[in-house]
Amino acid sequence: MRNHEASHGRDLGGLNAWGLSVAGLALLAGLLGLPVTGWAEEAAGASAQVSYRDFPQLGGSRNIIWVIAQIHLLLAGFVLGVPIFAWLCEIVGWKTGEKRYDKLAKEFTKLLTSSYATTALFGGILLFMLIGFYPKLMNYLTDIFFPSFVFYCVMFLLETATLYLYWYGWDAMQEGRAKVFHLFLGFLLNVFAFFIMVVPNSWATFQASPVVIAEGSSLARAWAATWNPTWWPVNIHRLIANVVLGGFICGAYAGVRYLSAKSAEEREHYDWMGYVGNFIGVFGMLPLPFAGYWLMREIYQYNQQMGITLMGGFLSWLFILQAMLIGVLFLGANYYFWMGITYRIPGAETKYKKPILAMLVILLLCLGVWMTPHSLVASLEEARKLGGTHHPLLGVFGVMSAKMTVANLMILVTFMSFIMYWRAGKEETATWAKLARAVMSGVLGVAAIVVIVLGVWGYFVPAIVRINYFSVAQVLIVLFVMLTITPLTALLLKSARTTTEMVWGRMPPRAGYALVLNAVMVILLMTLMGYARSSSRVHWHIYGVMRDSSEYAYSPALGYAAAFMSLNTFIFCMLVAFIFWVATMGDKAKAGHGAMSAMAGGSHELDERSGR
Amino acid sequence: MSEVVLLQLIGLGVIGVGVLILLFIQSRFPRVIGFVMIVLGLFSLIALSIPQMASLPPAEEKFDVASIKTANDMAMIGQKIFFSKGQCALCHSIGPSESARCPDLKGIGAKLSREFIYESLTQPQAYIYLDYRHEGPPKDYPARMPHINKNPIGLSNNEILSVIAFLQQMSGEPITVSPSEITMPGQPAPVKTPAPASPKGKAKGKAKGKAVMKADAGLVAMAYGH
Repeated sequence: MRNHEASHGRDLGGLNAWGLSVAGLALLAGLLGLPVTGWAEEAAGASAQVSYRDFPQLGGSRNIIWVIAQIHLLLAGFVLGVPIFAWLCEIVGWKTGEKRYDKLAKEFTKLLTSSYATTALFGGILLFMLIGFYPKLMNYLTDIFFPSFVFYCVMFLLETATLYLYWYGWDAMQEGRAKVFHLFLGFLLNVFAFFIMVVPNSWATFQASPVVIAEGSSLARAWAATWNPTWWPVNIHRLIANVVLGGFICGAYAGVRYLSAKSAEEREHYDWMGYVGNFIGVFGMLPLPFAGYWLMREIYQYNQQMGITLMGGFLSWLFILQAMLIGVLFLGANYYFWMGITYRIPGAETKYKKPILAMLVILLLCLGVWMTPHSLVASLEEARKLGGTHHPLLGVFGVMSAKMTVANLMILVTFMSFIMYWRAGKEETATWAKLARAVMSGVLGVAAIVVIVLGVWGYFVPAIVRINYFSVAQVLIVLFVMLTITPLTALLLKSARTTTEMVWGRMPPRAGYALVLNAVMVILLMTLMGYARSSSRVHWHIYGVMRDSSEYAYSPALGYAAAFMSLNTFIFCMLVAFIFWVATMGDKAKAGHGAMSAMAGGSHELDERSGR
Repeated sequence: MSEVVLLQLIGLGVIGVGVLILLFIQSRFPRVIGFVMIVLGLFSLIALSIPQMASLPPAEEKFDVASIKTANDMAMIGQKIFFSKGQCALCHSIGPSESARCPDLKGIGAKLSREFIYESLTQPQAYIYLDYRHEGPPKDYPARMPHINKNPIGLSNNEILSVIAFLQQMSGEPITVSPSEITMPGQPAPVKTPAPASPKGKAKGKAKGKAVMKADAGLVAMAYGH
């Protein structure tokens, strides 16, 4: 079956997080399955006679699965990512005593709660579709993974119960030990959510890098299949990506609410919420390329051909699209920071105009390099004139050494945008401030130079040296910069004097659109890379083990796939908008009667003014 | 109308609707929808403007045993398999290539015996060559040659022999694989199995004597020219 996991036709990637089961359904299936294993085996024998079913009237089984799985996966990513930062927000509110963080955490959780049922619903639909369309594959996977199905059901049950307690107990558990218990519930929520993510990840990654053992108990077989070579790289990559997705979607939600806000109070709040959402997205986005790099490395180690199919085969152009989307995302996130400096901190725009311009130029140059293809689209005649399919001047930018370098530089620039925003409007008063600034400038400057030097040097060493040493060194250097400058800045600002108070609610409408753009870019990226991962299995349901013998055993070209990605993204956006609209109806009604929604003010001062 | 053109028109239509919404509707939420439509339409158009390559499942080379009369017939089939089902060209080049990830196979049939090639295809871990390039330290992250006779590639014995015939022919060597070694469908593989590959292979003096590691027996010396 073809590819697309994102699309996931045959891919259980779509079963990711919470979904698979509408809770009761999955639990019922799991529990019923235990005592009737014998019957299940007989039934398996019968269903094995049918390998595929189709529904051509609706565009074919694969396309149906593609849409359902993609929407489920996106919802699942959101539902998994949000509890992480909702819980962190709640902790910040608890530790600092600032109620606005607690209210923001509650608003995040409200979005989570309202999306939870829809996620499970799409998971259930996906499960039915997979069983119906791909009985042979599902039978095989069930045979291997049945123990983990049961475990998954238990985790899902616990997650659901914990979420109920966490959400409905929010107001009742606000003080003293009750609050501590509530925080513990948030912790448990994330623990269960983590298992709900990693278990289905094992099913999906098994399809790409299967480990099949013929002997041993069913538990031993399931465990061996679970601990396959790409399981942990995908777990880590998805965990971070879910935080990014959740952050940017919450940011987009705030952006839309900001655009339609009618009162100053609403504008202030949603401006602040948009800032927090964008910050969370950027925070997750910075380490994400490193996790992706690790995943690709593991794929190459597992199977060279699969790696080449991805990076150098028919999917190689996909990475130009990926570069474009990531580039726009970086630009969008930075643009939002820069607008924040300009509009929220009066007087800062003149001070930061030149650095912002410099950063914009660097980002654009880096994006240009990243998007330079390895081989040009050229006719035979054009290629002869060029002396090959590599451009004589720009061809040098089409290789990984250049791309790794610019990716690291873009991360550095984005990080510095954030630091700049953080420091804007404040005057450092510490006696060692000058020294600290010099150290920070030195670290940043040296790091940037070393990253570039390693990138250039990478052209002159064997690929394996570059991959194993240079690229890793570049990543470590960037991480070192972040781990050095962040605490140093925090220390500096602890004793800093605020010269210009941050003013919320003054951002122009394009700030709201920038937040929406960031969310759309992240969603498109997830759909794109899902297609890539699924397509890397080429004509296999389970790579090297079960071949796709259906009429859909091919991967469509990027243009066709991109149209589907756009469709899925649009459906997902509309669905989320609808869910959020329904979820906030009550707030609007309350606001109409004079009380603002659960989230209240965008600033501490506002909290105090309004007596909250 | 081709599929690409149709999708391009749809993409343009989506962008057009988005622009109209932004131009004529003042309500915020529909404007956001219009904005999203423009972004998605542009993304689709860009994706449609780059080379469109689908990945089709490998065509099964029909191995009509009756039609194979000569070793050259086998080499012709082997050539097709080399570039399709065998996926050899995904990693290997024939002649120098910057994009090749694995050893250049030009002249390989002249450097190695058929037995060694057979073993390299079916037991690739028997000898792991540490670094096929000339320069730099040995790889501690070796590019593993897959078992060609097992999934996901899964060439049959007949197909492997044909590939060997192609490699020998392409190297200007006499083809030592004979059509008589071809097995009929359902017939067991010939009793005659390739002789254990000599570590020296069929070196013809071009070797530079680089070290390879025998996976289960430590280091041995072998000649494997590049």
